[in-house]
Amino acid sequence: MLKKKKVSLLAMMMAVTVVFTGCSFSGDSKDAGSTTGTGDTATTGAKELKLYVETEIKDMNQWLASDDVSFTVLNNVGEGLYRLDPKNEPQPAMAEKVDVSADKLKYTFKLRDDAKWSDGTPVTAADFKFAWLREIDPKTGTNGYSFIMTDYIVGAAEYAEGGSADKVGIEATDDKTLTISLKQPTPYFLRLTTLAPYFPMKEEFVKAKGDSYALTPQNMLFNGPYTMTSVDAASGATLEKNAGYWDAANVKVDKVDLKVIKEKSTALNAYKAGQLDRVLLASSDVSAAKSEPGFATGINFKTTYLQFNTKADGVSNVNIRKALELGFDSKLLADQVLNNGSKGATGLIPDEMSAVEGKSFREMQGDLIKPDAAQAKAFWDQGVKELGKAPKITMLVADTSETKDVATFIQSELKKSLGIDLVLDTKTSKARGQLMDNSKYQMAITAWGADYDDAMTYLDLWTNHTPYRGNYENPKYDALIMNAKKETDENKRINMMLEAEKMLVTEDAVVAPIYFGGYSFLLNSKVEGLDYHPYGNPVDFKYANVK
Amino acid sequence: MKRYIGVRLIYLVLTLFIITTATFFLMKGLPGTPFDEEKLQQLPTEQRQKIYASYGLDKPVVTQYVNYLGNIVKGDLGTSFFYTGQKVTDIISGRIGPSALIGLQAVLLGLAIGLILGIIAAYRHNTGWDYATMIIAVLGVSVPNFVLAALMQYYMGLKWGWFPVAFWESYSSSILPSVALSVGVVALIARFVRTEMLEVLEQEYITTAKAKGLGFIRIMFQHVIRNSLISVITVLGPIVVNLLTGSLVIENIFGIPGIGSLFVDSIKMNDYSTIMGITIFYSAFYVLVMLVVDLLYGLVDPRIRFASGKE
Repeated sequence: MLKKKKVSLLAMMMAVTVVFTGCSFSGDSKDAGSTTGTGDTATTGAKELKLYVETEIKDMNQWLASDDVSFTVLNNVGEGLYRLDPKNEPQPAMAEKVDVSADKLKYTFKLRDDAKWSDGTPVTAADFKFAWLREIDPKTGTNGYSFIMTDYIVGAAEYAEGGSADKVGIEATDDKTLTISLKQPTPYFLRLTTLAPYFPMKEEFVKAKGDSYALTPQNMLFNGPYTMTSVDAASGATLEKNAGYWDAANVKVDKVDLKVIKEKSTALNAYKAGQLDRVLLASSDVSAAKSEPGFATGINFKTTYLQFNTKADGVSNVNIRKALELGFDSKLLADQVLNNGSKGATGLIPDEMSAVEGKSFREMQGDLIKPDAAQAKAFWDQGVKELGKAPKITMLVADTSETKDVATFIQSELKKSLGIDLVLDTKTSKARGQLMDNSKYQMAITAWGADYDDAMTYLDLWTNHTPYRGNYENPKYDALIMNAKKETDENKRINMMLEAEKMLVTEDAVVAPIYFGGYSFLLNSKVEGLDYHPYGNPVDFKYANVK
Repeated sequence: MKRYIGVRLIYLVLTLFIITTATFFLMKGLPGTPFDEEKLQQLPTEQRQKIYASYGLDKPVVTQYVNYLGNIVKGDLGTSFFYTGQKVTDIISGRIGPSALIGLQAVLLGLAIGLILGIIAAYRHNTGWDYATMIIAVLGVSVPNFVLAALMQYYMGLKWGWFPVAFWESYSSSILPSVALSVGVVALIARFVRTEMLEVLEQEYITTAKAKGLGFIRIMFQHVIRNSLISVITVLGPIVVNLLTGSLVIENIFGIPGIGSLFVDSIKMNDYSTIMGITIFYSAFYVLVMLVVDLLYGLVDPRIRFASGKE
């Protein structure tokens, strides 16, 4: 009796095991040769790039995707009118050329004859019009990126509010001609067209797939340098060279294996074991890795800064704000605490962001912030005198490890320079955002990543007068931004923005820039031309090669 | 017996209902929404409202709750907010496989080794065998499995190259994570078996069995071990649920697309439908396993077999 039961129990367990072992391993679907490791790459002549991303691959639907990882994949399987080159300059892609009217308000794009979808049909101007209108329509474009169209294209904002699609300045004159009307001169418009929300898509394909559109590679259509062979949010994606791509002759890598690895140490071990070609380093690993071949650093267009609430107790005083801004040395922070390739901020607009005539915005502006304990103390004393008493300052901080390190650093620096005890209020990122929305904060550590390569992506934020932007309201600032948006002369436009940054950072001290985001990585010496862009679509596999 | 299971199943539904309700309202109390608020900031209020409305988030919480319950009854757990457009049932079924395989292997391995160690320790009570086993047990309980996992990854994966460093590519990918997870189970089971066996060995029926002249093997297997298993089954229930439903840390370290990380991520992202889906899934699994545990008691020990309503 007992024996029988034992046997049946065992049988049950075995049955369960069989069920579970039936689950698929991502390696199963691959070609049989891949198990033999890197050796076969040379024999078959296929060039493979082995990379990873740090969070799940969320969305392959261009109207829903809003994160860097999704953009990383989309940018390589899709393509807009223009594509960024290794120097971050936009180059003709789906478009062959563009004619810009004298008033810089009308862009006429001529599409390439050999621009094709992966199903063999040509990419047409109508595909652009369909995709862009879908992005603008708040019912379908829910990624929160529609503003990068509604802010610029004539009639787009009205359409988003329920107006007519016919009045939007996107015109498919014929199959290969696309005419765009802009509200104001936008020198970086071609850069915008490189972003995933500006990619084309074929209407009949989307309609045919319905709700299952872009959920699997079979339900996707590609026009970029690669096509997707598999994708799984948690384990990764595999891309293969798109033979029908117009510039296929210049795409050297045949296959990209993109894994999802959340642990930095796991990625490092995998890199050392030869399973990855590039690895991002945790700051604790930087010192040890510095001497290794393939070590390098890069920057992102992302500035972390202190947002002052100009309507809150204490920090409503501009001298108090200036004191807090100058009271810490962010160079020390970047070099000694963060140690990850980040740089101490000398202004709000990040390093390397373009301005005019090949010069960067930072080169033209120079250093706006020079930490100075004595000067900071003088501002503080002046502020205290004006307020009648020394204010108690609380800093709102998100509970990520990097932000907490930054907060502790600022706390100790301000103790030294101003002799004040800064209180840290640590909240989840979401709760922090909500407190800021409700104006319930004095100052908060926050960051902004650029959507495009122009200072306007930052400076425009402070014209909405919301609590999140410190309730900042200065008609002079608003006028500068408004005029800069209308200005057709590049030099004049940049000058207005230079002045606006100065006003925001030093004169009114509404924000105190802390650091420019950066990263350190190791790269397999066999890989070259793997270009990471500091904004927008993070990386192009198109120009990469494996020796 | 049938009636007993029937009653238990009704309780199961009731339990699930309470858990669903509590989770739903607690979850709505989380700050924020499933969307990228920083980006939404850019949109005019009207457009933002439209986005909320398209997900039914503009309605009162109670209405959302009633709608949700209605969908569950129809077997629809909804679509994810984070993985836009994907069905929660699809996401869960895609992720449970790796977690369950690793968890099951860890439980089986842990159970086997734990039983052997426990039996040796009890049988060789107060000898070097006993002490050695208990040192292993204490170490197993006190060394966190992520430390062990990281060490195993570094040595067995990278340095010696015995197993894949990470990823989910072939069966061998599942070995290191399973072993890392099993160590805690080994330690726990070994300690339980040892304590319980020592107690059983002193029972009078064992003396009786010995007096009857039963052989060593028969005494050990039919009397001692069988009676010691009761406590093991008690702890095994929660362990099975715990391990089969995934471990965030182990999955992250070995880069495994499992359900443990999905659950934690969904909470971080305020992915309402996924949070609810996994909670319901976990709870149902837990309650079912507990039912199985209770039934197993009866198998192992006739004294706690359930009377069919004639008590």
